[in-house]
Amino acid sequence: MSKQLKLKIITPERLVLEEMVDQVSLPTTLGEITVLPDHIPLITGLTSGDVVALVNGEHVPMAVVGGFIEVKSNKKNITEVAILADFAEHVSELTEEKIEQAKTRAEELKKQAENKEVVDFEHFEAELERSLTRVKIADKWRTKKYRK
Amino acid sequence: MAGTKEIKRRIKSVKNTKKITKAMELVAASKMKRAVASTLRSRLYAEYSWEILTSIAKNAEEITSPLFNERGKENITGKILLILITSNRGLCGAYNAQVIKKTLSMLRGVAVDIVTIGKKGDVAMRRVNQSVLASFFELPDNISISDINPISELAINEYSLGKYDKVLVAYTDFISALTQKPNIKQILPISKTELKEFVESLGYIDQHEEHGLNKKIDYLFEGDRDKFIGTLAEKLTKMQIYQMLLESNASEQSSRMVAMKNASEASGEMIDDLTLVFNKARQSNITREISEISAGMASVS
Repeated sequence: MSKQLKLKIITPERLVLEEMVDQVSLPTTLGEITVLPDHIPLITGLTSGDVVALVNGEHVPMAVVGGFIEVKSNKKNITEVAILADFAEHVSELTEEKIEQAKTRAEELKKQAENKEVVDFEHFEAELERSLTRVKIADKWRTKKYRK
Repeated sequence: MAGTKEIKRRIKSVKNTKKITKAMELVAASKMKRAVASTLRSRLYAEYSWEILTSIAKNAEEITSPLFNERGKENITGKILLILITSNRGLCGAYNAQVIKKTLSMLRGVAVDIVTIGKKGDVAMRRVNQSVLASFFELPDNISISDINPISELAINEYSLGKYDKVLVAYTDFISALTQKPNIKQILPISKTELKEFVESLGYIDQHEEHGLNKKIDYLFEGDRDKFIGTLAEKLTKMQIYQMLLESNASEQSSRMVAMKNASEASGEMIDDLTLVFNKARQSNITREISEISAGMASVS
């Protein structure tokens, strides 16, 4: 058995995923990186996009929005990748229905933003980014194979 | 038969009230469980963000972000922003009264602007003519982090603009289902010791991890460190407000549960008393009728 690393995806609301994986690709603020076991300790920012873990040759994609990444090795010399995201969801949770909702929501928000004079921009921005990321990531993985 | 009918009607109405309070008690109990569970779930995030913060800045001098530093003497405005967390609805015992009382006791002699979350606090603050900067009423029962965005942004913006020296939050600490304590905490500027206490108060930090923390890890950094600390500070602030809201929510539900439990018990007692009065009235009626009949018989014979 080859070496694995421990992937943790944490949002303020819950622990989304905790699993041993072979490798993981992450969208950082400076571009996409892939972390393999025995990576050096690293701290960097996370942008919205998809985190793709590789387990036994299968892809496990997660849609994430904003946060941080911490890579370090723990006491047992296992590399730990902790992803602190504002929001994270497995791609299979992004069903057609939810995507439609996200799309309409994004549209609505855009319209509202146009109509309102004084806008709560931060809130809108966060909501809009979340909706758009959902749609984008769901579209990307629609035709590809992945582990549920 | 005078009186018995009215007593019967009262018993019926008390019974109906009891049903309602019982139902509210059950609802509050289940909501409380959910609120407590989500408080625990967000603990992990707080621990990790704390860990990242401490690994970025081993000592406080490295931190230059304005969110971390006390205001310099020349910029002091003497004003404080206070976020008051209360409930939207009443019937929850002393929950709102306690936190409002605590707030009012600190209002004396200080210039404070208030941001209210929940209708009850808003009404109370307007009654004493406090300046209310903003009010948030429409938070759902199961709060998600995105609901906090407007509140934390408001706090951070107002603070960064230099309008206020401090941002405080008045909330209710959930200690157990039976005890809740109103509390006031400073969230901006972020003081490292307070933050540490906050993270530790959320629960134990694994002993093993503690060792890991002491062993200094040389992290590779990607990106702008200052900007990074800035966003981390924002996230931590948001996180703290979120956590406090969850605590308050759990407190609200548990004090409502206790209040409703007391109400149900009281109405049970009331029903017992009324039944006794009803039986006495009925019995005295019967006695009176019998004595009337026998008196009639005596007069006839």
